[in-house]
Amino acid sequence: MFRKIFLHALAASALAIAAALVYRRIYFFATEIDFSRVASFKNLFSFCLIFCMVAAGINYLCFKFLKNRAEIIYNLILSAVSFALVMLPISISLPLDIKSPELFPGLAVPIVFFPALSWYTLMPLFGGE
Amino acid sequence: MKKAIFPALAILLVMASSFVMFSQEWKVGDNYSIKFDGGDPSGTFSGLKASINFDPSDLGTSKFDATIDVATINTGNGMKNTHAKSEKWFDAAKYPTIQFTSSAISKTATGYEAKGTLTMHGVQKEIVIPFTFENNTFKGTFSVNRLDYNINKEEPNHGGSTFKVDIEVPVTK
Repeated sequence: MFRKIFLHALAASALAIAAALVYRRIYFFATEIDFSRVASFKNLFSFCLIFCMVAAGINYLCFKFLKNRAEIIYNLILSAVSFALVMLPISISLPLDIKSPELFPGLAVPIVFFPALSWYTLMPLFGGE
Repeated sequence: MKKAIFPALAILLVMASSFVMFSQEWKVGDNYSIKFDGGDPSGTFSGLKASINFDPSDLGTSKFDATIDVATINTGNGMKNTHAKSEKWFDAAKYPTIQFTSSAISKTATGYEAKGTLTMHGVQKEIVIPFTFENNTFKGTFSVNRLDYNINKEEPNHGGSTFKVDIEVPVTK
């Protein structure tokens, strides 16, 4: 069972990373502000992969111990964590040489939802757990 | 009388040219930095305009008049920048600039010091800024207590009250 969840997490993180990179590019064209030093490939990759792997662990534990209520509890946890993570880009202080830090949340806030969105998008392909 | 006009003009031009040639007026270079550090928040200001008349051999006539645009504050965080400019803190709409005007510049053991008036948040205070001048660059460090300038006096412990200010201003003729 965990193998399937692990593959789901891996695919979701890959999709989230791709979406984040595309969105970062679009955001740069829209604002002309380069946040690639902060929202670097390495940082986006780490964030999406860690999020999806932790989600996989929680998913596995939920379905192992909660049985019937597993899905609703897991979905609630995933949504709550994603909402809570909104605080991260809002509260972070960027290096002082980066211009217009007030535009950073516009880039990073949507990205914190990408791993959860990717998870739900790929759910039908991995049996719905 | 008419004959004297042109020689007089020539003398005037020579005098004006020599004044320009020997004046110690400096222009602010592009790579200046004005950093403040109060732990959290810390940051920079970038809107510096200054009239700098500085001659190490003639400190009596030397004078600084510098203005910083409060709206250029950057703490690295958009939310903090907005708060810093708000009515509660700098009130940038009402007090858009921070100004320092020197009244006397003197030599010290380590460099120089500029005595003058710092105007911030509508409050004027006499301060002394120690500085050095090497390789056409002014460097100075001093401390400012925001409570002396009535900046968010209601919350003296919010974000620290004493800020260390580091100034580095390269200049050109």
